[in-house]
Amino acid sequence: MLDQPAAQLPVAQRTNPERSFAEEVRALRLGDGEIFRGEGILAVTKAILQSGVAYVGGYQGAPVSHLVDVLVESQDLLDELGVHLETCTNESSAAALLGASINYPLRGCVTWKSIVGTNVAADALSNLASPGVVGGALIVVGEDYGEGASIIQERAHAYALKSSLWLMDPRPNLPSIVRCTEKAFELSEATNTPVMMELRIRACHVTGEFVAKDNKPPPVSRNQRLANPALHNYDRISHPPSTYAHEKIKVEVRQPAAQRFIVEHGLNEFLAGERSDLGIIVQGGITNVLLRGLDRLEIGGKVPTLVLNVTHPLVPEQIADFCKGRRAVLVVEEGGPDYIEQAIHAILRKRDIDTKIYGKDVLPMAGEYTAEVVTDGLLKFFAQSANDIDLSKPRERFEAARAGRVEAQRLLGGPLPLRPPGFCVGCPERPVFSAIKLLEREVGKVHISSDIGCHSFATLAPFNLGNSILGFGMSLAAAGAVAPVMQKRTISVMGDGGFWHNGLLSGVASAMFNRGDRVLVIMQNGYTSATGAQFIPNTSGNRRDGETTSDIAATLKAMGVKWLRTIRTYNVATMLKTLREAMSSDDKGLKVIVADGECQLARQRRIRPQIAAQLKRGERVVRTRFGVDDEVCTGDHSCIRLSGCPSLVVKPSPDPLRSDPVAHVNNGCVGCGLCGEVADAAVLCPSFYKADIVQNATWWDRLKWRFRSAVIGAMA
Amino acid sequence: MKPITILVGALGGDGGGVLCDWIVTAAHSQGLAVQATQIPGVAQRTGATTYYLEVMPTRAVQPSVLALNPAIGEVDVALATELLEAGRMIFNGFVTPDRTTLIASTHRVLAIGERMAMGDGSFDVGRLLRAVKERSREQILFDMDQAAEESGGVINAVLLGALAGSGRLPIPDAAFETAIRHGGKAVDTNLAAFAFGGGHARGELAQAVREHRKRQAAAQGLEDLLARARRSYPATALDVVEEGMRRLTSYQHRWYAEWYLNRLDTVHALGSAELLRETARHLAVRMSFEDIIRVAQAKTSAERMARVRAEVRAKDGEPVEITEHFKPGIEEIAAVLPPAWARRLLAWGERTGRLGKTYFSMHLRSTTILGFARLRLVAALRSYRPRTSRFVEEQAEIDRWLEQIRTAGRTNVDLAREIAECARLIKGYGDTHRRGLANYRRITAEVIEPALARRMTPRAAADAVASARVAALADPDGDALSRTLAAIAAASPALRHAAE
Repeated sequence: MLDQPAAQLPVAQRTNPERSFAEEVRALRLGDGEIFRGEGILAVTKAILQSGVAYVGGYQGAPVSHLVDVLVESQDLLDELGVHLETCTNESSAAALLGASINYPLRGCVTWKSIVGTNVAADALSNLASPGVVGGALIVVGEDYGEGASIIQERAHAYALKSSLWLMDPRPNLPSIVRCTEKAFELSEATNTPVMMELRIRACHVTGEFVAKDNKPPPVSRNQRLANPALHNYDRISHPPSTYAHEKIKVEVRQPAAQRFIVEHGLNEFLAGERSDLGIIVQGGITNVLLRGLDRLEIGGKVPTLVLNVTHPLVPEQIADFCKGRRAVLVVEEGGPDYIEQAIHAILRKRDIDTKIYGKDVLPMAGEYTAEVVTDGLLKFFAQSANDIDLSKPRERFEAARAGRVEAQRLLGGPLPLRPPGFCVGCPERPVFSAIKLLEREVGKVHISSDIGCHSFATLAPFNLGNSILGFGMSLAAAGAVAPVMQKRTISVMGDGGFWHNGLLSGVASAMFNRGDRVLVIMQNGYTSATGAQFIPNTSGNRRDGETTSDIAATLKAMGVKWLRTIRTYNVATMLKTLREAMSSDDKGLKVIVADGECQLARQRRIRPQIAAQLKRGERVVRTRFGVDDEVCTGDHSCIRLSGCPSLVVKPSPDPLRSDPVAHVNNGCVGCGLCGEVADAAVLCPSFYKADIVQNATWWDRLKWRFRSAVIGAMA
Repeated sequence: MKPITILVGALGGDGGGVLCDWIVTAAHSQGLAVQATQIPGVAQRTGATTYYLEVMPTRAVQPSVLALNPAIGEVDVALATELLEAGRMIFNGFVTPDRTTLIASTHRVLAIGERMAMGDGSFDVGRLLRAVKERSREQILFDMDQAAEESGGVINAVLLGALAGSGRLPIPDAAFETAIRHGGKAVDTNLAAFAFGGGHARGELAQAVREHRKRQAAAQGLEDLLARARRSYPATALDVVEEGMRRLTSYQHRWYAEWYLNRLDTVHALGSAELLRETARHLAVRMSFEDIIRVAQAKTSAERMARVRAEVRAKDGEPVEITEHFKPGIEEIAAVLPPAWARRLLAWGERTGRLGKTYFSMHLRSTTILGFARLRLVAALRSYRPRTSRFVEEQAEIDRWLEQIRTAGRTNVDLAREIAECARLIKGYGDTHRRGLANYRRITAEVIEPALARRMTPRAAADAVASARVAALADPDGDALSRTLAAIAAASPALRHAAE
């Protein structure tokens, strides 16, 4: 069943298969005075429409994917307002989109996951920030930092500093996030500077409400087109000598203007408190953790606090005024380096203000500022700076909770089994890694260059395959200097998302150009699945006209790839044979295997309603699933080590004489057939069977079945 | 006034996000300030994740700030869709005996590390339950997976029902039900699951424990043999011995069960009931070794079709077609030939390099008449089995193993029991069987034989066999076993001398 190529879909079904946003789309249409309820990232989406944005773009990634996903489903609304939406193929392309605001009075918003997306966008960002903008330009970065983060832990802050972009870090509640979004456009226009707004994962998903306003159609838009392009103005081009002037304008004009704007519009908040000798300066995004921490210590509302909803630029006068006369001020700044704390030190030193600054000495330099971490830091801060506050009770409670955890861990006796993310039931990528494992049985270990995407889960149990991850679409390039020193060829694994994002040029073109003798496996599942199954150029269909944009194999051929095979992934034996061939072929160039199989999550969402409708109409439907004969299984679990399918589980042995649990296929099985294929290719055991259940059977099916059952019954 | 704090631990696909939506909607309908957040990330793909909510207890008070992070020792209600995830919240210090109501499902979904073990790798449920009882203020525990199945709904609705039933939130059932209707998806089944959850939490519904039944075969005319066993063996070993006799009768014949008893008598003479029981268990499994005849017997047994139909949830009247995956190699075929022929075939395979390379892949449809007849024919080879090469080899191996047990048992029952346990290593088919047998032989040569030759102290000997056996099951590449064997050799001066 799964060996059939994915059919072209009728236009109506081509919505984002991960999740339907019907409710969210309605929320975007709310008008003046109505109450908006929803998640933080949706509030941002509503706020940019209220701000008269003319164009929106972005590249998907947690936790900001929904901004673009929801707009993709709101095409009617965008058409009415005249807003252009661009679903970009990478963050660099999204950042370059903001180039529209350099010459034209267009408000624009782009979004991506940071830090990785900001890295990719960096070239365009530098060249955008240098000439600056006349239309408000907002970059919403999902600061994927801390618990649950899936990327390297670095701060977007560094980019704001180096490129002179303004950085907002709003308090994580909807009114504050919405206000910052709206103000960001004004700030950007008042200072000719793009503004970044960072939102941590919990802030993107926090629920809340705010009073909505009408959406504003942009004055210049797809519906209100300009007759002529902007007049040629060399000052707007980031090229010398303009760039020399831009550098000066950044510090002499734009930054002071931004600092004025921040003060005049009250972007940073002052929370009053009775202690005139103490103070706290906190990033907006960490405010809730801090305030709850003070409540925990029973000193909520007592310590004056400066909340930095804008963390770059700082306003030196504001900082100095806040610190002046206070004995000690704590800076609560998540992650390193401690840019804000250092800047505050410099501001105070220049003004000879001798307030003692605490920060990374009582709080950790690295890691997320959780409730526990901040509480611990506050206790240390007050112990050193204000021993007149009696914190013995709250400290006791805090220590008791920590001791309780030690006791709980002792009771549980060591770490609990981890649940790393893995491939979904029926994932088309899993069979490729099963085949690689079988290949390694034959030829020994191979250097595997991994990439970003669902397939990076192969680096975890049960496959444990992969030697490095260098970034999105980088796996082929990352093997460039490994391959020449290896006796065996290297295998680079890349998703189709990574291929279009970066792999095509950074990887394939470069490897071809350098005559790289390497093997590349491209997982062609038709979506960027790890981020929520967004469309990419090779998706069979797109959100506009149902045509596939670009074919990967055709693209590779056009680039001159000679050794190219497209293999349906579920056939493990063929995949193994092809891998063997690629590893041993006399061809000295790049060898590419396109491993083709539609994302099963997307496929199931697509076909489930179709099958339900067929069943309802009384049509014959064959449901396929796999099973294990528990009498034949001996409980070795080789099949699980070679597959790891979530629906391949274990259950207690029904055999009174055996204690090892046996394998079992649960009802999540979608019948992809991998377990049977693996059992076959790896010569495992004969316990797997395939069951085809005929629903709405025809009279012929029934007759045949009855006759067979009767004869078989007599034989048994 | 402080908010009520709720932490949810769930697995990807359990519907934790929808659960939060329901709670938020229900709280809103009561005019209560509420905030929820989550960290889905990549955890939604089979991983574990958490959700955190805060709800104000009355509508009179608006909170100054609601937190986005749970804090240790400050969680009022912890919800878990699975027992290990409840354990994880306890492990992380969020569930505390002074404050937390723990509402958790008692079923287990094994993590990948637990599933991929070569034997039984599951985390100790006893430890989990003890921590649950000791580290929370009150508990609402039942198998919500089963409740979901019984009500036809999804586990998140059961959990919502249990939360409503716990009475920890100032939100009436009707508000939760409205929230479920508002969600608009699978409303009827979700409402049923919600009612189930609430009923369990209030103690109105009792749950029949989903007991795992071990299958037992019928007596098959073995009454006199069973009577003989009952006369001579201690009661503690009888259930295993009886099951062994039944299995061997259906596997082979009555005389085979009798042989089993005769073999056991020699172990019984050593006087340890525990050793007898363990040996009886493993001996029955070893004597009913897996060959293609046994597979065919299992796949054509009378009750199999009913079992498969239940497992794949085929409704009455729906035809089911079954395709079997077989891939015998030269060794499997040689196993059912007489010894002389088998030797020739294997020698030929060795010479031509086909051994371990040539396999016959068969996808056999056992629900067609011809397909079933072919399997039945193979199963009918049962009476010829004693003449096969595999049978002859297995009996010789078994005799050697029993001799080791007897030799050890005369002076060191612990060692004898550990040797008996080593039979666990030999199981499966093809590569799995080959690997298990190789490990078993390595342990025999490097630990058991030196131990029987008294080149180790009695206690060290038993420990050494046990640790080698555990190591053999630790990883399929045999790395742990090699390390352990080296350590055993290093720790035992006599062995070291012998090696030198």
